[in-house]
Amino acid sequence: MSARSVCRALARGLSFASLIPLLLSAAATHAASYTLYIKAGNWTVNGAGGATLKVWGYTDVPSGGPIVPGPVLESQEGETVTVTVYNQNNRSHNFVVNGLTSDATAIPAGGSRTYSFTTSRAGVYRYGDTLNSNINREMGLYGALVVRAAGGVNQAWTGGPSYDYERLWVVSEMDKPRWNDVAGSGGTVNTSVYKPNYFLMNGLGGFDAMHDPSSVLQGQTGKVGLVRLVNAGQFDHSLHFHGNHFQIIDVNGTRLSSSEWGDTYNVKAGSTVMLLYKLVPGIYPMHIHTAQMENANGVYLNGVATLLVGQ
Amino acid sequence: MRNFFDMMMGKAGVVLAAVLLTATTTAGAVGIGADANDRLNAANGVTIQVRALNKRMSDGQNVRFWVWCAGGGGMGMGGGCRLGGPTLELGVGQTANVTLNMMMAPQEDPPYQGHTIHPHGLDVLQSEDGVPETGAAVLGDNYSFSVDSRYVGSHAYHCHVHTVKHLEMGMYAPFVVKAVDSSGNFTNVINSGGPTYDYDWNILLSTVDPAYHTATGDSTVFADYNPKYFLLNGNEGLSKAAPADTATAAAGKKVAIRLISMQSVNATFEIKDAAGANKSFTVHNKDGFKLPSAQTVTKLDLSPGQTADVMVTLPASTGSWYPQVTYKNLRDGGSYSNGTVYTRLNF
Repeated sequence: MSARSVCRALARGLSFASLIPLLLSAAATHAASYTLYIKAGNWTVNGAGGATLKVWGYTDVPSGGPIVPGPVLESQEGETVTVTVYNQNNRSHNFVVNGLTSDATAIPAGGSRTYSFTTSRAGVYRYGDTLNSNINREMGLYGALVVRAAGGVNQAWTGGPSYDYERLWVVSEMDKPRWNDVAGSGGTVNTSVYKPNYFLMNGLGGFDAMHDPSSVLQGQTGKVGLVRLVNAGQFDHSLHFHGNHFQIIDVNGTRLSSSEWGDTYNVKAGSTVMLLYKLVPGIYPMHIHTAQMENANGVYLNGVATLLVGQ
Repeated sequence: MRNFFDMMMGKAGVVLAAVLLTATTTAGAVGIGADANDRLNAANGVTIQVRALNKRMSDGQNVRFWVWCAGGGGMGMGGGCRLGGPTLELGVGQTANVTLNMMMAPQEDPPYQGHTIHPHGLDVLQSEDGVPETGAAVLGDNYSFSVDSRYVGSHAYHCHVHTVKHLEMGMYAPFVVKAVDSSGNFTNVINSGGPTYDYDWNILLSTVDPAYHTATGDSTVFADYNPKYFLLNGNEGLSKAAPADTATAAAGKKVAIRLISMQSVNATFEIKDAAGANKSFTVHNKDGFKLPSAQTVTKLDLSPGQTADVMVTLPASTGSWYPQVTYKNLRDGGSYSNGTVYTRLNF
């Protein structure tokens, strides 16, 4: 169980004591070996405008419900990662790590499949279900794999830019009435119409994400945060940073030899980005700059937003 | 940052006197386009007001906007005010002195009452950032900040109250940082140490979903964006014969075009000649920061909130080119009906 999963579980109301067996289990298991379970269930976006959505998702807790996004998989350069996926939903799914695996074989309901791959390059990767015309992914079957520099040093990659803090932001969106309600009830989604009304940062609406320690980039002024971005949605997400410009260092696994600065970056649907942001004194928002994507079903700032906090 | 009432009692005389402003000048360059006579030096003390502006669109529908005004717009209406203006300019190392005067400003009911000025792309103190959720006053304020030479290029300013509506309502305009000479005069370099230009043209991109203009508060209307009108510098430009903006420059000269994206969908900028052939241009800055190396291209994508500074050298003979923007949806990049907006550059 990753530290991030612990935070999310705590945020979801589980007691720390209840997590101790899982933490001990995680400590005894090499971080590059994971077991995921695909489940159907519900996911709640809290706060005004929020709702409980029918989702399909991955979880690393055998008795738990689906997590959106799925558990963070973590590795280091050169390691072998093994992931065993149990499909506990009533339809076929698969598991593909974009850029690392190519086995898109369907795992039938009740079945399982084990994937093994080497993470030779540090970076961030999107994993998810590639089946069913984006429906399975939209329903919540996505997550991120973080590959750190060898030895766990605070460099974006061995010999790459250094950082003091790190954050993973998985952005996405869901169309509750036309996709989640329909697919979650066994209906047929008209995939030609996609009008998402929930826009998520690490599975959270902005009201939660602006208080979520795993999402808020907070630290000492002058220190540098490495933000690993994954767009698991179908819309491009144009993210705007206040307070300081950022430096783009990697797009879709391509390292930039000369970094470009910006205050707004368009994270294309399905893509990954890594950037560096130096903290400045104060509290600043990071939010999407696209009309309805700032909202949860029309309620302002409960969409894709979090905070940048320099102390 | 000071509250509005302190400002009125203290610096009011200076501020109100500064309302009578003249357009800025940039040594060696001429401003062209819709805002050529609507550019104000933010260091000189600028008072910004907010006014409602009803605009008849190409299909005959009236859309109500909220627009920025500098010292105009009497009686609460938008007379003399322009959608997408006025442009603010600031020299490197100089101190902006911009006051938002909320008298007679149209606004929403709580919790989204009031307005702010957010200097988009300028990395300012939290107190000057214009974000209500982090403490900005919404009933009038003075904004004071300065920036260094890294920021020479295009930025924007916009209201940051209930942004999903207020940005859509038209509360946006260019904010351009300029290099200065030893006397503090603006100079015509595209970025610090960069090439010079002869003309500069600000082109502001925006889109309009009329439903967003009538909805207020937290409404499910704001859960679905369906843009119907596509603008450059506040105007539709549905054809080369009816461009959104027309600028004129001398043949053979260099034109800086500043692209400021305040729209809520993706966009692609191109320059075409009368025959429809793409003309290349060089991108020097993105988000107001100099690129590691300038890029010569024929198309440039711009997402919501981004800016770019590009330059083009005009032919030696006379003619017209058509800088244009095609707006695209966020899912698959598909274009919209009437989603290509034309401008014209005569030389």
